[in-house]
Amino acid sequence: MESNKKYWKGLEEYNNTPDFVKNNKNEFAEPLPIEDVLNEAGLSTVTPRRDFLKALGFGLGAVTLAACQTAPIHKSIPYLVKPEEVTPGIPNYYTSSFNGQSILVKTREGRPIKIEPNPNAGEFFRGTDARAQASVLDLYDVSKLKAPLLKNEETTWAKLDGFVKTELTKAQASGKKIRIVSSTVNSPSTNAVLAQFIAKYPAAKLVQYDAVSYTGIIQANQNSFGKAVLPKYNFDSADLILSFGADFLGTWISGEEFTAQYSKNRSYKSLESKKMSRHIHFESGMSLTGSNADTRVPVKLSEEGPALIALYNAVTGQSLPGGTLGNNTTADKVIKLAAKELLQNKGKALVVCGSNDVSTQILVNAINAAIGSYGTTIDLDNPCYLYAGNDAEFNGLVAEMSRGEVGAVLFLNSNPAYDYIDAKKFEAALKSVPAKISFADRADETASLCDAVAINHNYLESWGDANAYEGYYSIVQPTINPVFNSRQAEESLLVWADAPVKDYYQFVRSNWETKMLPALGLKWNDVLEKGVISIAPKAATAYTFTQSVAPVAASILNRSKSLAKDIELQVYENIPMRDGKNANNAFLQELPDPVSKVTWDNYVAIAPKYAETLKVKEFDVVTVKAANGYSIDLPVLIQPGQARGTASIALGYGRTKVGKAGNDVGKNAFPFVSFINGTMQYATSVTITPTGGYYELAQTQTHHSFEGRAVIKEATFKEYLKDPAAGNEKGEHKDYDLWDQYEKPGNNWVMAIDLNACTGCGSCVVACNVENNIPVVGRDEVRRRREMHWIRIDRYYSYETPEGDVTKEKEIANLEDLDHVSVVHQPMLCQHCDHAPCETVCPVLATVHSSDGLNHMAYNRCVGTRYCANNCPYKVRRFNWFNYWNDSRFDNYLNNEFTQLVLNPDVTARSRGVMEKCSMCIQRIQGGKLKAKLEKRPLKDGDIKMACQEACSANAIVFGDSNDPNSEVSKALRSERIYYVLEEINVKPGIGYMTKIRNTDTKVQA
Amino acid sequence: MRDISMILKSVWKSLFLFSAISVIAVSTVNAQDAKEGRTLFKAKCSSCHALDAKLVGPALTGVTDRHSEEFLLKWIPNSQALIASGNPEAVKLFNENGKVAMTAFPELDEAKVKDILAYIQEGEPKPAAGAEGAAGSASAKDEGTSGLSLAGIIAIVIVAIVILVILGRASKLLERLILQKQGIEMEEDVPLKVGVRKMFKNKKFVMFFILCLIIALGSFGWMGMWNTGVHTGYQPVQPIKFSHELHAGINQIDCQYCHNGAFKSKNATIPSLNVCMNCHKAVQARDKYDGEISPEIKKIYNALGYDPETQKYDESKSKPMEWVRVHNLPDFAYFNHSQHVVVAEDAIRKAKGLQPTEPVCFACHGPVNTMEEIYQYSPLTMKWCINCHKETDISGQKNNAFYAKVIEAHEKIKKGEKITPALLGGLECGKCHY
Repeated sequence: MESNKKYWKGLEEYNNTPDFVKNNKNEFAEPLPIEDVLNEAGLSTVTPRRDFLKALGFGLGAVTLAACQTAPIHKSIPYLVKPEEVTPGIPNYYTSSFNGQSILVKTREGRPIKIEPNPNAGEFFRGTDARAQASVLDLYDVSKLKAPLLKNEETTWAKLDGFVKTELTKAQASGKKIRIVSSTVNSPSTNAVLAQFIAKYPAAKLVQYDAVSYTGIIQANQNSFGKAVLPKYNFDSADLILSFGADFLGTWISGEEFTAQYSKNRSYKSLESKKMSRHIHFESGMSLTGSNADTRVPVKLSEEGPALIALYNAVTGQSLPGGTLGNNTTADKVIKLAAKELLQNKGKALVVCGSNDVSTQILVNAINAAIGSYGTTIDLDNPCYLYAGNDAEFNGLVAEMSRGEVGAVLFLNSNPAYDYIDAKKFEAALKSVPAKISFADRADETASLCDAVAINHNYLESWGDANAYEGYYSIVQPTINPVFNSRQAEESLLVWADAPVKDYYQFVRSNWETKMLPALGLKWNDVLEKGVISIAPKAATAYTFTQSVAPVAASILNRSKSLAKDIELQVYENIPMRDGKNANNAFLQELPDPVSKVTWDNYVAIAPKYAETLKVKEFDVVTVKAANGYSIDLPVLIQPGQARGTASIALGYGRTKVGKAGNDVGKNAFPFVSFINGTMQYATSVTITPTGGYYELAQTQTHHSFEGRAVIKEATFKEYLKDPAAGNEKGEHKDYDLWDQYEKPGNNWVMAIDLNACTGCGSCVVACNVENNIPVVGRDEVRRRREMHWIRIDRYYSYETPEGDVTKEKEIANLEDLDHVSVVHQPMLCQHCDHAPCETVCPVLATVHSSDGLNHMAYNRCVGTRYCANNCPYKVRRFNWFNYWNDSRFDNYLNNEFTQLVLNPDVTARSRGVMEKCSMCIQRIQGGKLKAKLEKRPLKDGDIKMACQEACSANAIVFGDSNDPNSEVSKALRSERIYYVLEEINVKPGIGYMTKIRNTDTKVQA
Repeated sequence: MRDISMILKSVWKSLFLFSAISVIAVSTVNAQDAKEGRTLFKAKCSSCHALDAKLVGPALTGVTDRHSEEFLLKWIPNSQALIASGNPEAVKLFNENGKVAMTAFPELDEAKVKDILAYIQEGEPKPAAGAEGAAGSASAKDEGTSGLSLAGIIAIVIVAIVILVILGRASKLLERLILQKQGIEMEEDVPLKVGVRKMFKNKKFVMFFILCLIIALGSFGWMGMWNTGVHTGYQPVQPIKFSHELHAGINQIDCQYCHNGAFKSKNATIPSLNVCMNCHKAVQARDKYDGEISPEIKKIYNALGYDPETQKYDESKSKPMEWVRVHNLPDFAYFNHSQHVVVAEDAIRKAKGLQPTEPVCFACHGPVNTMEEIYQYSPLTMKWCINCHKETDISGQKNNAFYAKVIEAHEKIKKGEKITPALLGGLECGKCHY
């Protein structure tokens, strides 16, 4: 009995549009230009005799020259004085931190080439996000400034220091204010530097400004409990999670950490102990977190407040006015049931909300207090310091600047000219500041308006530290000499403050050695080795909510009413681009959005039904206009699951001065953010009008289709409890083998992927890109279906009707419930089939099987027939259409001598005309084996880890040797949930998938 | 032909060596003391002192003029004691030379110190004239190609044909003479030109000639094609005339001392110049260049920005040393030195029949200790790799716990077969190409 649920990747597949059908049947996604060649000059013209002779002569000459025996001269340049710890060919690992998370930086011959999670970082910091993985590319970014700028001209540090010091002294003497605008500073050493700077210039003050702000939560906690902090959330202790628009697995506060906590109660290990958390999600646009929820309920942005009031009423038994949801009966139903469940799970439940509205967050606090979350799932005593920005403070600064009260302003790691809600107002205000200094690494939107740009180091060139949580400190240490003539911002500040210690390394070290290390009895080198210091956390205590919620509810209702005017627009951070700071990173630009699978652009996401009423089709360009007059033209993306009457636009796009890769990609949505009730609000109401234009988004979702074959298996948690093999019933059919069986006496490398743990976040995709030198192809090539990713995450939509399962394809066409879809994410990579169909069709034996279960690909043997790709049932083979590293059409990525330094020297950079695919990180397998050989010991389970596996916070990917019955992967593969994709065609894949389990109660089923 | 040039080279070298030795022998007949002193000097003093240059300690030429023998006899075995005793000359000398304490040599008795002083007085025996020339010609660039061997074959064929023709004509002459003797007059021999023309009218000959031509051209092409990209014997000119023969051969320096990566990493690594400086701070070969530092060693100093007079480094003057890579594997082939020289050392030694005294490196790099300038010894073709992987017996690896498990697993299926890397999957594409 196979599941009769229908899954589809995109609406074109769902609707079976003629284009989709045609493209799927075609051998090549694009027609080959054979006709053109045959019809045009190709054959009709006669080749003149002279041309023929010329060609012949050239050909002969070229062949003769090529056959000459001269050996190529390759220079080999050793170190003059080799550092003791460097052995060419062997990587070194250094601890560092990225955005507060402790990481390991892998360097080869002094070049950072890969980011790995730090095993000392703690249980829930076991993975890294896509940004961290891609960050090595930023180090070698040629769009950065090569020297400091003074009045838009390159200068020396001495001249710049002279200028800045004079200006700062002038500002101080004139009695005007000096302001340092920075995104949240949680580094103890940076804070100490700022203290010294402020001591020298008492008019100076730090203004923390985050492009995407969490001020709402901080102020709500101040209001409710007198603690102006972001709490530490413990998703791992929550059996029931309710989220109102908080994308906590993706972009909300600390996505990777929350993913690790979340998956602890949902992974195969947890399921084996018969335990699984339950996650109910209310949101308007489809987010990564929403796509993973057991039950997802689309609500309009204006319904979020009333829904929370309704939940509060249901949980506490009070009757605040306004807790009605109008037409949204589903949401109404779900909230009543959820309230019951919350009360059943007191102390084991958690309600989070993505809103930045103080009143809304106070109400959420009230609900959490009522269900006993404080002290269990929410920890206010060990707060999180990742975000501390204050929206009102920065708004006030803009006003001060325009009044001419500010004498000097310094921008550290902030770019308000791009990401402030009213960039024009900011720019005008900036004009009345006499001295403007930026620490940006490039002449970005703000830096280009500044008098001086004191270019800052990349974090991989810097010393520093971070304090992500109370008592949790991590170190930042440089892994390379500065690539350009930059200087660390902290050092610049120390120089300008005439501090006694100007060398920032000495400063950080003495800061640690005097303030932190003596109490812990540790030495500086211990810190560098471990990378992270954790002081025992304080006991989390319970907090009671005593305030009256009536005024809060009134404010929420007001806001809700003002939103419900027209189309409700939500602007949000998406996984690849986040707030746009890393917009020039080609790896991130080409990472498909986990839900929409769009690369290289942002778009207006609207619900299918709503598109019909608007009379727009997919990719039609529309004008989105806000009440403040800001309007942009963007293509429409029809998003199943989007709440009707709402639209979503991602932030982080539309940069104009970031570099070759990121300039003019998409449109800037920050001006849609509004400042209401003292905080930035990411919901607004807009009007949408079609322009009649058309713009094709580079969307990967329907590339590499399985043509409707069943590749997903799922069951509900209830069914799983009854029968662990639920949803994975194997049909009776006889197998026939065309091939001989081969023994795999040594190792048999296999993989298990837990579909329940995988959230689809995409950090594995970027990790694989970096590890395996996978080229970035750019928007146009993605449109031609030529993306090169070796691992992709297929996202399938499906839904169940209240009456029962959808059984036949034809029935689906008549159903109209695209609002309530459920989603499955399936990582798809080379399955290393034992009976690989690709191997048998290769005419030159370029792809063959190994005795340890891998499907090898010999690039130097491949002649590019692409038969293998056509014969691969999983569509995981990729063809190199260009020499991406040496072609001016791909200038945004590898085509320069700096960026090429990011390449992994253990992996060949493939050439044009060659097929490639996942090699199961064979360089890591071979490296791990060699290490064991040199140490004369057998290989241990866990010695070898795949790049994708290492990056995964959810632990969804398990790799190992199936010949070892005690290996983690062998255990995982013995699970009843294991199935092999398309196992009916008997290609014997090496990668097992575990069925998706949803903790849905049919009654609460949306 | 590589071999011929090597023979020539070694003949030159032995000639030169012989003449050098004979000159040295003649010039040192009466200097028994000094010869002994030279050996002692090299062993005990030369790491800090040179005759004509200041190293850690002062230059020693003329030391016997500057100080009395009596003083030196006390100073050299234990200078610190002499200083402690308050000898004004000793204290002065100590202060003048930066207060660097000289190692005590209690083992040097009076006779030995005198020997050393005799050597210092006499100076380094002058090498034979023409030595430089010989060394120069020996290290001249010589790039053997397989074309030479082909030319040899062609020459042999031509010579054979000429001999055949001459023999044929001679036998004809003899025949005619015999016939003449018997009284039978033969027709006058046709002139050569007509004979050749006649020959080309002979269809059988033309056929034979064309066949030969096709075979010759075909084999020429065939060999050319097979050897495209094979650079056996490749010996590029290096920026420093570094002699492996001198370092690895005569001075017996272990390969690992310089190429330490080979035992840890995939790269054998060209040593960084600070490794050179471990010795060449002191070893300057001044004796061969009339008291000047060897121009080749000077190149190290220049690259590092090192001033031998002040013994200071100036990083601003340093510039990288651009060696020319001799062993070029294509980028798509992965080769790891440590896998071969550490993990598989015993197996490779056995397979290649190396002497215990020879380093395992010789298996592929050839007799490096006899190479004046390094050249590519092995063809480095895939066939060459594969052959070795097919033939090498690695059953001896059982004492490595990693292999013990793997070999055990394989032995279960392939009882009695020779265990080679190929059997363990060493021929699979992905083992070297990724």
